[in-house]
Amino acid sequence: MNRKYELVYVVSPDATDAQVADLHTQVEQITQRLGGSIEKTDNWGRRKLAYEIGPHKEGTYVLETIDGGGELMKEIDRRLKVSDLIIRHLVVRIDEEQAVIDRTRTTRTDNARRRRVARGLPPDRQPGEGQRNEMEEDDRFDMGEVER
Amino acid sequence: MNGRKGTGARGKAGAHGAQTGKDGQRRPMFRRRKVCKFCADKIDDINYKDTKLLMPFVPERAKILPRRISGTCAMHQRKLRTAIMRARQLALIPYTAE
Repeated sequence: MNRKYELVYVVSPDATDAQVADLHTQVEQITQRLGGSIEKTDNWGRRKLAYEIGPHKEGTYVLETIDGGGELMKEIDRRLKVSDLIIRHLVVRIDEEQAVIDRTRTTRTDNARRRRVARGLPPDRQPGEGQRNEMEEDDRFDMGEVER
Repeated sequence: MNGRKGTGARGKAGAHGAQTGKDGQRRPMFRRRKVCKFCADKIDDINYKDTKLLMPFVPERAKILPRRISGTCAMHQRKLRTAIMRARQLALIPYTAE
């Protein structure tokens, strides 16, 4: 049940700041009613659209990270579809992808550390070793170096 | 860096033939081996919100740059594709240009 979603919606440029804030509170109310919570809100402000949508050339982008279930997102999706002020919106589930990203990141750092230790170096990069040591972090070449 | 690129190109494009160069039909130029940008820079997260990252992969006509040109690996090309398609929905990236 506990899933993480990302919601981005584009509000029409005609909308006032108060209206944008109002939309946010609407989303918040729905999430609270259906047992979810908003983790983060980020207003990107007014941006130029990559293509014209109807009469609009600009839009206000708002990003919300929401913790909750599928039913909740369905309801939000439905409400945003109906709203006149919103010209585009997108709901994406992010928890699974984030988990994969975190896993690859940790395995990579772990592997790098293990290789460094195997070569008799301290596990973390020392401040002096910048840039020029590209080869040693390169996965494809490190295996050979360890065995040598 | 130099060492890696050199070996790759020799294996692929036959750089020796290209350097002697006078036998007509051979590959005319030394071809640099393409490396997946996301593997090389260790970018794990190809996110639709990151337009700066995606823009180089949608040149002029705003079509997605094919793998054979960009050199992106299959896995990252797939992720790139979904990211670009999401960004297009939100009008962060154009579907077409002119």
